[in-house]
Amino acid sequence: MKQFSYVRVTSGKAAISELSKDKTAMFLAGGTNLVDLMKSGVTNPERLVDITRVPLATIEATKTGLRIGALAKNTAVAEHPLVLKHFPLLSQALNAGASPQLRNMATVGGNMMQRTRCHYFYDTALPCNKRNPGSGCGAIGGFSRMHAIFGASDKCIAVHPSDMCVALTALDAVITVTGAKGERKISFGEFHRLPGDTPEIDNTLQRGELITAVDIPFNDALQQTHYLKVRDRASYAFALVSAGVALSLKGNNIADVRIAMGGVAHKPWRLKEAEAYLKGKPATEEHFREAARLTMAQAKAEEGNAYKLTLAPNTIVEALKLAAANGNI
Amino acid sequence: MKDDQLMNEEHSGTSRRSFLKRTSLMTAMALAPETVIKAAEKGLDEKIAATIETMPLNVTINGVKQSVRIEPRVTLLDLLRERLQLTGTKKGCDHGQCGACTVHIDGERVNACLTLAVTTEGRDVTTIEGLAKGDELHPMQEAFLEHDGFQCGYCTPGQIMSAICCIREGHADTPDEIREYMSGNICRCGAYSNIVDAIMDVKQGGKKV
Amino acid sequence: MGTDKKSEPLNRVDGRAKVTGKAKYFAEFEVPGVTYCVLVTSAITRGTINTINTKDAERAPGVLAVFTHLNMPVIPGWANPANPNAKPPSGGEKYQILGSNKILFNGQPIALVIADTLERAQYAASLVKATYNKATHQTDLLKNTEKAAMPGRFGDYSRGDNKEAHKTAPVTLEADYTVPVEVHNPMELAGILAIWEGEDKVTVYAKTQGVKATQRTLAGAFKLEEKNVSVHSEFVGGGFGMGLRTWPQEVAVVAAARQLKKPVKLVMTREQMFNLVGHRPYTIQRISMGANKDGQLQGIYHEATAETASYDDFTEGTVAMTRFMYACPNVTTKYRIVPLDRGVPIWMRGPGEATGAFALESAIDEMAHKVNMDPVEFRVKNFTLTDPEKNKPFSSNNLKKAYQLGSEKIGWSKRNATPGAVKDGEWLVGYGMSTGVFGAHRGESTCRAQLNADGTLVLQSATSDIGPGTSTAMVQIAHEVTGLPIKQIRFELGDAALPPSGSQGGSATVSSVGSAVYDACMALKGVLADAGLTFEDGAVKPAAGKSAGLPQVLAASNKQFFEITKSSKGGPEQQKYSMYSFSIHFAEVRVHPLTGVVRVKRVVTVADSGRIVSPKTAASQMIGGVTGGIGMALMEEGVIDHRFGRMVNKNLGDYHVPVSADVPHIETIFIDEPDPYSNPMGSKGMGEIALIGFSAAVANAVYNATGKRIRELPITPDKILSA
Repeated sequence: MKQFSYVRVTSGKAAISELSKDKTAMFLAGGTNLVDLMKSGVTNPERLVDITRVPLATIEATKTGLRIGALAKNTAVAEHPLVLKHFPLLSQALNAGASPQLRNMATVGGNMMQRTRCHYFYDTALPCNKRNPGSGCGAIGGFSRMHAIFGASDKCIAVHPSDMCVALTALDAVITVTGAKGERKISFGEFHRLPGDTPEIDNTLQRGELITAVDIPFNDALQQTHYLKVRDRASYAFALVSAGVALSLKGNNIADVRIAMGGVAHKPWRLKEAEAYLKGKPATEEHFREAARLTMAQAKAEEGNAYKLTLAPNTIVEALKLAAANGNI
Repeated sequence: MKDDQLMNEEHSGTSRRSFLKRTSLMTAMALAPETVIKAAEKGLDEKIAATIETMPLNVTINGVKQSVRIEPRVTLLDLLRERLQLTGTKKGCDHGQCGACTVHIDGERVNACLTLAVTTEGRDVTTIEGLAKGDELHPMQEAFLEHDGFQCGYCTPGQIMSAICCIREGHADTPDEIREYMSGNICRCGAYSNIVDAIMDVKQGGKKV
Repeated sequence: MGTDKKSEPLNRVDGRAKVTGKAKYFAEFEVPGVTYCVLVTSAITRGTINTINTKDAERAPGVLAVFTHLNMPVIPGWANPANPNAKPPSGGEKYQILGSNKILFNGQPIALVIADTLERAQYAASLVKATYNKATHQTDLLKNTEKAAMPGRFGDYSRGDNKEAHKTAPVTLEADYTVPVEVHNPMELAGILAIWEGEDKVTVYAKTQGVKATQRTLAGAFKLEEKNVSVHSEFVGGGFGMGLRTWPQEVAVVAAARQLKKPVKLVMTREQMFNLVGHRPYTIQRISMGANKDGQLQGIYHEATAETASYDDFTEGTVAMTRFMYACPNVTTKYRIVPLDRGVPIWMRGPGEATGAFALESAIDEMAHKVNMDPVEFRVKNFTLTDPEKNKPFSSNNLKKAYQLGSEKIGWSKRNATPGAVKDGEWLVGYGMSTGVFGAHRGESTCRAQLNADGTLVLQSATSDIGPGTSTAMVQIAHEVTGLPIKQIRFELGDAALPPSGSQGGSATVSSVGSAVYDACMALKGVLADAGLTFEDGAVKPAAGKSAGLPQVLAASNKQFFEITKSSKGGPEQQKYSMYSFSIHFAEVRVHPLTGVVRVKRVVTVADSGRIVSPKTAASQMIGGVTGGIGMALMEEGVIDHRFGRMVNKNLGDYHVPVSADVPHIETIFIDEPDPYSNPMGSKGMGEIALIGFSAAVANAVYNATGKRIRELPITPDKILSA
């Protein structure tokens, strides 16, 4: 790892000011991804601004929803009574990610900022447009088993690895960021971006901005939830495909529904078309299947991830079934 | 000095000197006379350079206050193993993918390999060496012994540190729950079945962990 | 011993050191002035290094040296080989680490960077930049099968009159099976710590499965007397075969330490362990099988083609099991290797047989279905008490009992023979079983026994413990021979200066070293008898008619202790009988049809491995092997991007090994019948059979659950969905 200077701050203002002192400076929160990337030589900041002691870890109810501080640890969020009560999907998604140790370290903001786990991105001896723009995409025509079927470009087919973000996308969360120019809000679905011609840019956060909080609007009708994560081993693995569903049933009719997927795109993938289709319809497998079919119309696969064209719709159907039954896989 | 010049110098490979100029020099001013800085800048004296590139760290490890100077890039794991000879904490992957380095920071289990040591300033760290009281083993250590919850023993300290928290966190009510909440600790010898038994035993024994 | 008496389950004698963190593994010895070595490895797969820039690394803080092919100190024992023009068996270039600018495989070391701290060495290593002249590489076995050659060690085998019986029998099948690259991945990172005392004496702390083997390798490389090479390896954090060689980069570190006149420590990265310490070779297999309608096997043809390195032949007994496992009159086996531009493979737990058993035991299941027979019955029908390959009786073979016990325990009678017929909610339920086998080997081994005046017994042998619990088993054997309490017996290992033993591999340690311990303890009885003493009631007592106790007798003869050293090896019975250890695995699985997820829900594993010397650690061996088998069956695969010749998933996040959530409760059953001929304890090996065959049990269970026959490991969700 390259040497870097380190400064510990205790306020958001100081954090932003310290970051501005070096073009390569980065915020250090849980470190579970950043330190790993630094060890791998993928990210080489010369200055780290340790924000872990900035008081941004509060989880509290507001009038309209739940506000989660950006530095709240994944474990703290997953086990918080208000999260369990109002947003069980978020808790389920968090607990499906990483390991207990990593969840004790990782923060909400850091989870959003984590970078793809694409092998070609991590291996500095291999081409990757995200790590080294213009060098090519190793995954295209290569080992693409983990890769995107939605919204990919000919520059990058990487996926965003987060489970938490899938839930927050489904739950219409809003992100608050602060920078030198003040505060702004970003709807969760617009935070992460598609790769297009600039896969090196993961999201719409501007240089110098600090994520301070995530707000999730209350929608207590959406009580039937399921986060289904399909992976190569039973725990401690990234998703091949995951689906988060929050559902409101009136009798057997779908009053309201939110669906998002992980492991399928450069960003958490919200299924608005499927949601619109399902609203008002009976919660039957046939309708779930049709919702999945509508979603898959946009899908495109490489040879290595062609199986996701079957797995993804099946996962949607299964997650909907389980949410409707409030069962567990 | 302009940034682009620095970048050029970087690429020509004198990154340490540029690093010193850019970042540590200002902090070093307060500590060192100019001649020392000049020497460091020219890379003439590694010892001086080393001092400038390090930071003080005060951390309590197994109840003992440690004051050291370390580079910010040193992980807690390497600090323990290479500087403090606390080699009970193991390096299995160095990337947060195996759990062999599990320690407690302020009572919570974390991966020491992804924890920069400087971030533990003022914290309480517990490692496997901090569990037994003299000859009296911690109940979890006893249970691992009794249930043969290990073979080669290399992942064992991490498993035990994790297992203690698994109970403390309230995630040890059923074997399946233990399996899920112990999945951050890989055991390649495959002692999982016995580890689950050991944890169930401690949990049911009701001893304080 | 060698009787029907069962051994007591014993906690590990070195367990306390392991649970307290006091057990010291090679990298953990505190050595004043130690320096840190980091490897820089090749980014290309074949070609030559054009330029290598080490200047930036050399100027980086704390750096002591950067060694490349341009300045690597000569390793004297390698410098002038007996036949300098000799080509490796595969006909490729010779691989000598940092010996030339040639690149023979991706991830090959191209520089050693040594600095005063680990962080500085790591950073400096990142500054070493090479340019290459790339040559075309070949890493894909499937595209290089025309290079397949018969290795000297494993010739073709054939028996029977009807060479075509596998094609002409009333019922036939033909199928291809694939086992991918698998990587041992012991939890401890590999490496070495070398400390020279002058030019001709060196001490190393090593991660090795054989301290004597490491001593021989280093003595040869540096032209030293063996006694001047101290090798310490008391605790080894797993090996599974990767520690059976002292790897070139480890020898290079020893050379660097000599040149620098400083202690040097290398701890490889996990990533490097995917390329530089061997792997289970990618192997494709074809099995053709013929049987009568009543299930009697008529012919088996088994051909395996495996990768090796261009610079070294690696072979293993992949097709061996097919030759003797079943009473089949006509059997042909062929084994071929294909040299590729890859690092050399090495034996991995259940070497050869684990790969072969996946194919054979899947095919047996397929044939059982074809003839409408229960797979257990099918195996019983084709059971043989005589090894049909060697035409010798098995020294012991309790497979029939094992089939019965295992079937009862798992509830095999509940199994529905129709695939896909049983559901548990949305999950499909399936049962499968398989057989595993591995040679019951016994090598020569030596043990020194020292009985002290206080009644403590110290036993010494230069063997290893990579996890099975060697010391515990040895103490148990000594306890059973002498009757001395466990606490009074200590076993010392992991030091090349101790009496010689073989490496820990091939499930032979208890049989080999245990026999030496047994013989030494028996001999000690003789020594005591001569001195008028005897072991009685857990203590050393005066023999009948004598009055002087151990301390008095020792004092009278001016001795501190009694000692005796015994060498031990198998006798003629080793030639008379065919000796194998057997296992039967039963697995109950759930398959989720929509997502393709497979979970192993229950396992019963039966070991027919002679008398069980150390029941507690033996049970752990079995559950450990099964856990490895779950990995092999469901998730383990080293993936190479052949465009680059480079492994892409070379870390524990992407190369999946089982975690706790993958592993159900595993029930182990021991036949625990002494083998009359294997060794004085009546034991047979256990480490390999615990894993061998298990992947087939899972594949067979998946077939029973779904009707889908997966012949390519691992059985991941995508394969279930596409089948």
